[in-house]
Amino acid sequence: MAFAAPSLPLAEVLARNDIWRGDALASAALPGVSSGFAQLDAELPGGGWPRGGLVELLHSRVGMGEVSLLMPALARISADELAWVVCVAPPQQPYAPAWAAAGVDLSRLLITRASGGDAAWACARVLDTEGVGALLAWLPTADTGTLRRLQLLAERSRTLVFLFRPASAASAASPAPLRIGLEACAGGRLSLRLLKRRGGARAQPIDLDPVRPAPLRHVVASPASSPAAARSLSEPADA
Amino acid sequence: MRLGDAWAILPTLAVDDQNVALEAARLQALACWAGNFTPEISLAAPLSLLLEVQGSLRLFGGLERLFEQVRASCAAQGHLCHAALAPTPRAALWLARAAPGSCCPDSESLHTALVTLPLAALDLPGKDESRLAGFGIRRVGELLKLPRAGLGRRFGAAFVMDLARAIGEIPDPQPRFVFPQRFRDRVELSARVEDAERLNFAAHRLLLTMCGWLAARGCGLLHCVLELELEGGKQEAPIRVELGFSDLTRDPERIKRVLRERLGKTRLPAPVYALSLSADAPAMLPGRDGSLFGERAAEESVVVLVERLQARMGAEQVFRLAVMPDHRPERASQAQRQGGGLAVKTPVAPSVIPPRPCWLLSQPEALAEIKGAPHRGGALVLLAGPERIESGWWDAGEGAGEDAALGDIRRDYFVALSPRQEWLWIFRNAEGWFLHGLFA
Repeated sequence: MAFAAPSLPLAEVLARNDIWRGDALASAALPGVSSGFAQLDAELPGGGWPRGGLVELLHSRVGMGEVSLLMPALARISADELAWVVCVAPPQQPYAPAWAAAGVDLSRLLITRASGGDAAWACARVLDTEGVGALLAWLPTADTGTLRRLQLLAERSRTLVFLFRPASAASAASPAPLRIGLEACAGGRLSLRLLKRRGGARAQPIDLDPVRPAPLRHVVASPASSPAAARSLSEPADA
Repeated sequence: MRLGDAWAILPTLAVDDQNVALEAARLQALACWAGNFTPEISLAAPLSLLLEVQGSLRLFGGLERLFEQVRASCAAQGHLCHAALAPTPRAALWLARAAPGSCCPDSESLHTALVTLPLAALDLPGKDESRLAGFGIRRVGELLKLPRAGLGRRFGAAFVMDLARAIGEIPDPQPRFVFPQRFRDRVELSARVEDAERLNFAAHRLLLTMCGWLAARGCGLLHCVLELELEGGKQEAPIRVELGFSDLTRDPERIKRVLRERLGKTRLPAPVYALSLSADAPAMLPGRDGSLFGERAAEESVVVLVERLQARMGAEQVFRLAVMPDHRPERASQAQRQGGGLAVKTPVAPSVIPPRPCWLLSQPEALAEIKGAPHRGGALVLLAGPERIESGWWDAGEGAGEDAALGDIRRDYFVALSPRQEWLWIFRNAEGWFLHGLFA
């Protein structure tokens, strides 16, 4: 009988990284990189952003704080681990003073503009490269096959891989082991829904406070209309 | 055998004239290629190369492994290669002629190999060979047993000296091959190639030759040019494929990767029948020490990554950022293209920065204004500001393109929140409201 054959003890099987109990978080082969948010670290397998796998961030708009969410981890990677951070096909030109102020070492930040298939190709080349600590890629149109190839490459590397994708991709299947839906809510908070992770699902969203450029309470008075403003601008500032 | 007899036996025999000039050129190229293994090379005309490999044994992991690598690399270039290894150059030549593949690291094994070597290996004049055959001598071993004085009287002193040189009794210095100052090699393809990607294989041989030339001279390259000669006579100018590297290199794999990306983007108007590779201005590139922890390997692999990305996407598309000491937002961030290595120092960032956005739009985007408030998917709420940024008259009208548009500016910047919860960096000037950045 097949079942009578001696098999691995259950404990040994459960000790593997790619097998986990449904009611507990999986352990990770490599310790994660702390996200800088204790609340989020507690919910991620490995206690932080996981290495060796894709992290898909699904967001509806640019400018809701999707990059600010990663800044603490990126600063740690570039300043503490002296590893490179690579951006592939960013939606706009990255602005150096902001990245430097967030703690990213600009001498180890590499940016590649690419379009279509070239972006996925560039990601694959980056994952082949040693010394890259984090890859941020904007792949709005990547199909499942492309993602699967990138996931296989990511498993062989120690790189943190963040893929920014539109929220509409949430319903499509994805080989990424961690998928997070981002939603901005009132009050400047960012709400994270863990759509997929290794370990039990979590229905409640996690609310975080990423660094915002301005406190919400300090609301300037709405200035006058432009023609008047233009006039006031042409006068000395303290007049 | 006369040609007529040969045709009588095999009517389909194809006969090519020997092209002595081409053979000599190929031998020169092979001598360059052999620079991959040792700088001590000499040409043994018409068709042999002598490589002195004593100094390279440790680098290549031992005698057998080096010997295997030399033979495999030569065969990979499409040459039929008869190689042998011996303590003296003359014995190595004899063995390569008559017993290719023999590997005699010391004089004992050389003696054993020479004993059974047929006399034909010595490439003697026909008169001497028939005379020796008359003595009943068929093998080199039997020849070596004869008294030298008698051999000297019958065949001349030079013959006996050659024998002594072959078995290492007297030294046998060889003229050294002089590597050319500039590299240029050309290969004609056996078939017309219409697909640029298929040229990779043919170009590989040229690359190996060039890397050998560089290795023997202890040099590296920043730049080389591959020319694709097109069918269609003189009116078709050859296509130049320029290969650039971010720092000095002589690594064939690295050059090959850049070449593959460049060829992948090349369109051929006509089939290619020949390739030529040329390089000048090599610069000294000292050898490297092995590093203990491999940090340098990581740094180098990023250099290689940059090269590959630039080769495919274009040099303009791959860059790093630097903070520049300028108060105008467009000038405060500068893209730095790679060139001459990654060691570009970024200027120090100012210590106090009011909030700045992750993304800066390349062109400010005009915002609608309704009842005095800027709109983007609804009225924007201003959260911080105004931060006035103005003046810059000193470079108004200078530069070209988008730089010229900038210059003297007068703007009030605000942080704004849209009803869709986008954090925006907007400004107002005499023309109205503009979106300039996104706090992503």
